[in-house]
Amino acid sequence: MYRYDEFDTAVVRERIEEFRDQVSRRVSGGLTEDEFKPLRLMNGVYLQLHAYMLRVAVPYGTMNSDQMRRLAHIARVYDKGYGHFTTRTNIQYNWPALSDVPAILSELAEVEMHAIQTSGNCIRNVTTDVFAGCADDEIEDPRPWCEILRQWSTIHPEFSFLPRKFKIAVIAASKDRAAMRTHDVGLQLIRGEDGQAAFRVFVGGGQGRIPHIAQEIAPAVPGRDLLAYLTAILRAWNLLGRRDNIHKARIKILVASLGIDAFREEVERHFATLRREDLRVPDEEVARIRAYFAPPPFANLPRTSGAFDRASLADPDFARFARNNVRRHRQPGYATLIVSLKPQGGVPGDITADQMDLVADLAERFSFDEVRAAYEQNLVLPHVRLDDTPEIWRRLAEAGLATPNADLVTDIIACPGLDYCSLANARSIPVAQALSEQLADLDYQERLGPIRVNMSGCINACGHHHVGHIGVLGVDRKGEEYYQITVGGSADEQAALGEIVGRSLAADEVAPAVGRALDRYLEVRREGETFLDAVRRLGADPFRDAIYGTLDAVA
Amino acid sequence: MQWLDTAPEGVRLPVTTPLEEVEAAARGAEALILEFDAFRDGRGFSLAAVLRERGYRGRLIAEGRVIPDQARHLRRSGFDGVVLGADADINAWKRMDAAFSTTYQPIEDNAVPIWRRRNPEPQNPEAVIETLNRDTRNDDAAAILRAALDPVLGLKPAVLSSFGAEAGVLLSLVARIDPSTPVIFLDTGMHFLQTLAYRKALSERLGLTDVRLVTPDADERADLDPRDDLWRADPDACCDLRKVRPLERTLIGIDILITGRKAYQTPDRRGLRPFELFEGRIRVNPLHDWSEERLAAWLDAEDLPTHPLSAHGYRSIGCWPCTQAVEAGKDGRLGRWSGAAKTECGIHLGRRTLPVG
Repeated sequence: MYRYDEFDTAVVRERIEEFRDQVSRRVSGGLTEDEFKPLRLMNGVYLQLHAYMLRVAVPYGTMNSDQMRRLAHIARVYDKGYGHFTTRTNIQYNWPALSDVPAILSELAEVEMHAIQTSGNCIRNVTTDVFAGCADDEIEDPRPWCEILRQWSTIHPEFSFLPRKFKIAVIAASKDRAAMRTHDVGLQLIRGEDGQAAFRVFVGGGQGRIPHIAQEIAPAVPGRDLLAYLTAILRAWNLLGRRDNIHKARIKILVASLGIDAFREEVERHFATLRREDLRVPDEEVARIRAYFAPPPFANLPRTSGAFDRASLADPDFARFARNNVRRHRQPGYATLIVSLKPQGGVPGDITADQMDLVADLAERFSFDEVRAAYEQNLVLPHVRLDDTPEIWRRLAEAGLATPNADLVTDIIACPGLDYCSLANARSIPVAQALSEQLADLDYQERLGPIRVNMSGCINACGHHHVGHIGVLGVDRKGEEYYQITVGGSADEQAALGEIVGRSLAADEVAPAVGRALDRYLEVRREGETFLDAVRRLGADPFRDAIYGTLDAVA
Repeated sequence: MQWLDTAPEGVRLPVTTPLEEVEAAARGAEALILEFDAFRDGRGFSLAAVLRERGYRGRLIAEGRVIPDQARHLRRSGFDGVVLGADADINAWKRMDAAFSTTYQPIEDNAVPIWRRRNPEPQNPEAVIETLNRDTRNDDAAAILRAALDPVLGLKPAVLSSFGAEAGVLLSLVARIDPSTPVIFLDTGMHFLQTLAYRKALSERLGLTDVRLVTPDADERADLDPRDDLWRADPDACCDLRKVRPLERTLIGIDILITGRKAYQTPDRRGLRPFELFEGRIRVNPLHDWSEERLAAWLDAEDLPTHPLSAHGYRSIGCWPCTQAVEAGKDGRLGRWSGAAKTECGIHLGRRTLPVG
């Protein structure tokens, strides 16, 4: 993985000093709260319901064991002993003291981490496929490009006061495992006509109050022109995007109002006059960054593993874990292992300091010192030997980290909701917990197959409810927490927005209603048909009937 | 950056003005003052950058709602100065303007971006080699290899191995650092079967994942050596066909070639240094100062498989027609091209006179 050199180190260190200066000017009155707010946000510091929250960047979700241990240390020393992984592969601490923030940032800098641009109206942390470097369908590892984007977007003089936040996701396979088309800009790495890296560029995706799936704006931008093309997109939006209404400021609104063709013309006009050669990253620099992401020194192993097969036969619990959480790796004899942060009745994405330390140890010993944060709020050990999976499973299980539910119905994505968030209308955590408890039977979950349930506590959609196969949105109805259900959303390469099935439900009605929709799916599905495919074939009606039928009968 | 008390004479526009109107107004203007209505409204930065890129050379001044923390955003996107209010903290402006010693983006000021600073204009290659040799002069073979394989160099390495009697030393050192390093084996079609078996056994044992077999071009071979007996009449031409040309073709895209050559082997190799420049490519010789005894002791200690012919007195092993066993106590290299003045196949000698078809 990437390692800082003296320049990267200087930028992060100087950023901390800059923030220290800003904090002291806020204290002395040199900055008003209104002026200070965007500055602290661009350093990851939010003011939440009960306390400050610090969001730390995990660039493109890749960490080493030292970094993971430092995150654990911060949770232990400066917070309440836990952290929360987000859908943008960052980690949030919910209870730091504002006065500790500079110290925390210094601790992070020591392990080449930061909280720069994890919030605010700027270019945010770039995300990617959690299986980068492992998947056998990728064109090349997308992370060198993510690192180039990280550097280019860091403290950008032109793009630090944008109309609203700006998120980029990069994938390198036709399968989308990063919800790329829900981003302001989605990049799909392809081979250009010259055989070099090029990018299919999508623009105008986003969730929130007015969700949009990103549309294709360019079929193949050569890698050498990527930064120039992105500059043109950002420029067009920075000059034309709305600033009068926070809900209409994202690029998706501009693209939708101009239409993709007119927006493309606007971008191309800027692209034509840009000094493109200045924005070309030197070939040597691309090669230098790529070298950091070279595959780890894999051993030559047989495709199958006796230890894995024996454990699968001997222990049905391991077999279940292997079925659901161990994924094929392109290197024979290796696997990618998903560490679920969705225990039965737990808070999605939460992890304790001790658990972080354990994952760090396992990464160091079994996975070439690498651990990843996934869009689904799980962790991933990217390169483990099949031979080692029984041992890893045993140690994860001892720490409560071996829930065998990756991509199953209880692998719920959820935002922190009204338990923490000042924007939320409703709580999401207790509803997710109730659903997780109700659907705890793993045999039942496996019978259902892959289903993604996404839950947001308000219309800002941090829990991605629009693109959940089943989506749950918290709304405020005359001071009461209510929940709206959608079905048929999807964040993959066939991205789609879910359809609202009907009137919203009270908190305690959500889990039973979802359960009825799932039972209906088991009744109506064809051989091998997933829940999402069934919704696409049948529409929302059968599920609407299941959700409301009983309610109406009772009423 | 100029810190101004009052704005100069010039065209004055709010940053909410559409780009086309700003451009039209700027045409021929000596000074343009852009008024920020709110410090969060970052349009002014893009307006300035576009104007500068499209050739506006007049003065560009910011006025209105801007804060010290935007000083370098203003400067870097093309402003010359900012009008500060009466109660502005000029020290804060100066501190924030100088908050960063370096920058990633190439924008309107003349700062050299980090990417360029990391990759300065290419140095004279001889100077690079000199530096590498100087930096590693007290280092052992493993450290020399680590320096050569350091990903920070961004260079593509490959190891050249004959899988001969001593090949295990270099290859095991490489495998410890990165077993996926490409290993090139010139498969001349004339090797002892024992060498081929040894190649397989040693590669498996060390976990080498990228051993590349490089064969002569079939057309050239049919043309120059249809009966596979060129070695009798002209061993140089045979080496050229089977080793020199295939290697040259396979090295396209490789920047660093690691070899197992030792200074003691031949008179030509006596002055061998760890790093040398050879036909525009860096060659690394981590074992340059090793003796035959030290190599043998290493192989023994590591308990690596040995070449099956070692036990029969073969100490430097090439193709079967041109390799012989050597009596104990004599120079091992005498077993190569025995009876001829030839001591090198040519891959380490530089461009051949024979044209590459």
